[in-house]
Amino acid sequence: MLSTLTASDWDRNKAGILLQRAGFSGTPEEVDALASLSPTEAADFLLGPAKFLPPDPPAFLQESSMEEALKSERVKFNSLSDSAKADAKKEVAQYLRANQGRQMTELRGWWLKQMAEPARAAREKLTLFLHGHFATSFEKVRSPHLLYQQNSLFREKGYGMWSDLVLGVAQDPAMLLYLDGAKSRAEAPNENFARELFELFTLGEGNYTEKDIQESARAFTGWGIGAEKGKKGGLQRGSYPSFKNVPKWHDSGSKTIFGETGNFDGSDVVRLALAQAAAPRWIAQKLWRFYAGWPAPEPLLQELVKEWQALKGQIRPFLMAMWTNPNFYDPIRAADRVKSPTEWLVGLCRQLGRPLPAPVLSSHALSLLGQNLFEPPNVKGWDGGIAWINTSSISRRYEYGSWLVDGTQGLQKLSTLNMAKMAGESGLLKMSLPEISPEGVVIPHGIKDMDPVEKQAATEKMRETLSLPPAPVAGIATSEERQSAEKLLASLSSRFLFGETIPEDLRARFQQAAGDKIPFTDAAVRKMILAIVQSPLYQVT
Amino acid sequence: MNNHELKTRREFLRTGLLGGSLSWTLPAFLSRTMQTLHAQADGALIQGVTGRDGNILVVLQLAGGNDGLNTVIPTGNDEYRKARPTLGLTDSSILRIDPATGLHPSLSGLASAYQDGHLAIVQGVGYPNPNRSHFRSTEIWATAVDSDKSSTTGWIGRYFDNACSGCDASVGIATASQLPQSFAAATPKGVLYQGGGGTKKKTSKKKGSNLSDSDASMMSMDEDDAGDAGGSIGMLNGPGNLGKMSALDFLERTEMDAKVSQQEIANASAKAKNTVPFPSSRLGQNFAMVSRLIAGGMPTRIYYLSLGGFDTHTQQAGAHERLLKEMGDAVSAFLADLKAQGNLGRVTLMTFSEFGRRVKENASGGTDHGAAAPLFLAGGGVKAGLLGQMPSLAPKDLFDGDVKYNTDFRSVYATVLEKHLGVKSEPILKKDFPTINVYG
Repeated sequence: MLSTLTASDWDRNKAGILLQRAGFSGTPEEVDALASLSPTEAADFLLGPAKFLPPDPPAFLQESSMEEALKSERVKFNSLSDSAKADAKKEVAQYLRANQGRQMTELRGWWLKQMAEPARAAREKLTLFLHGHFATSFEKVRSPHLLYQQNSLFREKGYGMWSDLVLGVAQDPAMLLYLDGAKSRAEAPNENFARELFELFTLGEGNYTEKDIQESARAFTGWGIGAEKGKKGGLQRGSYPSFKNVPKWHDSGSKTIFGETGNFDGSDVVRLALAQAAAPRWIAQKLWRFYAGWPAPEPLLQELVKEWQALKGQIRPFLMAMWTNPNFYDPIRAADRVKSPTEWLVGLCRQLGRPLPAPVLSSHALSLLGQNLFEPPNVKGWDGGIAWINTSSISRRYEYGSWLVDGTQGLQKLSTLNMAKMAGESGLLKMSLPEISPEGVVIPHGIKDMDPVEKQAATEKMRETLSLPPAPVAGIATSEERQSAEKLLASLSSRFLFGETIPEDLRARFQQAAGDKIPFTDAAVRKMILAIVQSPLYQVT
Repeated sequence: MNNHELKTRREFLRTGLLGGSLSWTLPAFLSRTMQTLHAQADGALIQGVTGRDGNILVVLQLAGGNDGLNTVIPTGNDEYRKARPTLGLTDSSILRIDPATGLHPSLSGLASAYQDGHLAIVQGVGYPNPNRSHFRSTEIWATAVDSDKSSTTGWIGRYFDNACSGCDASVGIATASQLPQSFAAATPKGVLYQGGGGTKKKTSKKKGSNLSDSDASMMSMDEDDAGDAGGSIGMLNGPGNLGKMSALDFLERTEMDAKVSQQEIANASAKAKNTVPFPSSRLGQNFAMVSRLIAGGMPTRIYYLSLGGFDTHTQQAGAHERLLKEMGDAVSAFLADLKAQGNLGRVTLMTFSEFGRRVKENASGGTDHGAAAPLFLAGGGVKAGLLGQMPSLAPKDLFDGDVKYNTDFRSVYATVLEKHLGVKSEPILKKDFPTINVYG
């Protein structure tokens, strides 16, 4: 079993590390509040109530489905000539894709907003872990609605039993589309989901055979989604599909999986997989690595596995056990955990006490930093750790850091962005459905058909929305702290670096950044903050 | 740190960073380095391998498992027709390159490179005991070790360690969101360069339209991303390798590499222009950029590009056709541009994918993970031809439904290392692999 930190081992530095790793960082006051609790109380407080309080959903869910929107046009559509039909199809497809893009931007912004809520941060952090673990991408699923549903599943079931979560994912419509389960049939089962279930979600490579995969793929047949499908087999024009068990698609023959034989279905496969010895090791290690930043070595991993088994795979108490274990704060490994782009962005905004940038700008930045939410690079999710860092991403972190600390100076720093494109993605420039005139002519309403004045106005509005003012630092440094570089750095490092040890040369660099005019102005304070944010040290913990 | 490295860094420090062209503050790592630099004598020579006229290898990864059997197709083959009743390509549609073999109809760019004598096709490439996991098999190709072994370094990384220990990080450039696992080295090198900075795959204007620029990019948002099939594998990279460094050391080093290479790359790409039009696809634009960097005299020896989406479990036909077209068109523009620059002889392009696909198609109009597959080598020094053998498709010759390899991929690596990059392959591949007869 895992050992637990005692109250006397608990200090402000550890509280700051916990707030960073378990959530999305926060203000010095929040760190102080955690430091005043016992380690167990602090972890419990961050996790919040076990009972789930759902956040208000994003607004786009209220929009009518494409099917309804298109219904009224359908009769007219059928009476069109073939060439007009082709035109109309093209216009409709374009409209659908623009709409999806806009909804995805809203969904990303909505999620980031939940992360920035102190009371929700820990649950959202776990949701982010689960999104990377059960990676599913918009690029293939193409439905903002289904991706929201999957995200809600992680949020709602994340604190509960691991087995319930895995089963929920196996029956999740976005996953059924992403790994082709929805198209798998008894005649020719599709192996994609079964393989990744074992390799990535539950066991790890080397803990199953090709035969186990083939037989499990047979067992999963019948699990599909039930909604009318569009012409391409996709969802674009259907009402939103949900999980459906279709007996006639199911291969009801006998299967042998992990040495057991029976007429198994998908639930049996999940049960059999999670009963393998490799299963607790796999998830315990992944959780530890995500939160601590480095892989647990053998003796520690064994303790984690025992803890997991004692807790019967309940996630919330397991998180508490990890976060209160002394190894979690091992000073030797303190600089080995690289912040993910999402942690970096939300955390920096929280520490600066500034609101998040507009959803379209946040999404753009995260995508270029290597973490486009809802579009992980592949089914393995993001590798994390030092894979976040390369010559391109580090330059961008420093650049975006300057936007958030010093502001964008109007739009000067954003001059490379395409405002019209962003106006489209953020919904300021809205396409409407193509119409069919009484004469049977398709009247397109794409962006290119819009009134130039309207377009211009939307682009202007976009500029206003995107430009960021300098961070409000009036309350960050007191007049006393502005009297010397040493005092200012002490204050800023306790906000941004949780009082971690700063090497001497770095300390000098930070102090020089503020200049030598005492008392320090807001601009000088921001210069020191920027020097901290644009340093390797700020990228870890 | 040796003198070669110091020299290029020092040049940069003198002219670039301290000149104030970059807005960053001086990092601690750099200020330490500066003191060391001032203490060093001038005059170290740049070693041969970093020279601006050395040979270059361009690696193109086809992530997700390219269907080799529908890329290089056996003609008049009953087994092929039986296994691929809906996906099989007819003899009349394929681009015939010899009596028994043809290329997918959308690979016209590669077919003409073959006619021009610049394309070799190595058939049946794989390795013993094939693994059908995307990640593990990619790792096997990246680390170039036996499929039951593992390594913390990649084969390109070991080439850097062995042959260019003194080079700057820009000796390897990858256009991807993350450094490939094959770059992992004892002394990490490699720079990421993302030309366009967009997030979408395609930014093409519709032909014949008279849209303004902003309209065109609005349209790009609307374009079909071929996301219907093969979408669960976009990019494939492995986790990084720290060697003996801490994450913080790695960050400091990367910060420095970023500053040095940004300047270098900006200088090189400002010097050169593309002489032929490139496709507007993401891959096409990445090849255009690599071509400019080569023309601009970057000392880079390895360029690494990637095209994802080959995991075609469902509805393969249209998606595969689009992917191959994107690849073939981009490669043929690249070869034409290199030829016009006079650099074609210095460059070899090598494609690879982590595995081929199952011989028998599945019920979802797609194919599942397979084993051996053909790969392409292209360039001025390459001898055109079909190498290796088209593996037999007869059920008795298959292993678990997959074709068997006859050429180990490490023989291909050994060949480009020895015959093209001019280094001994044994220290890099840890074993002697026979080279194949690709270079004239």
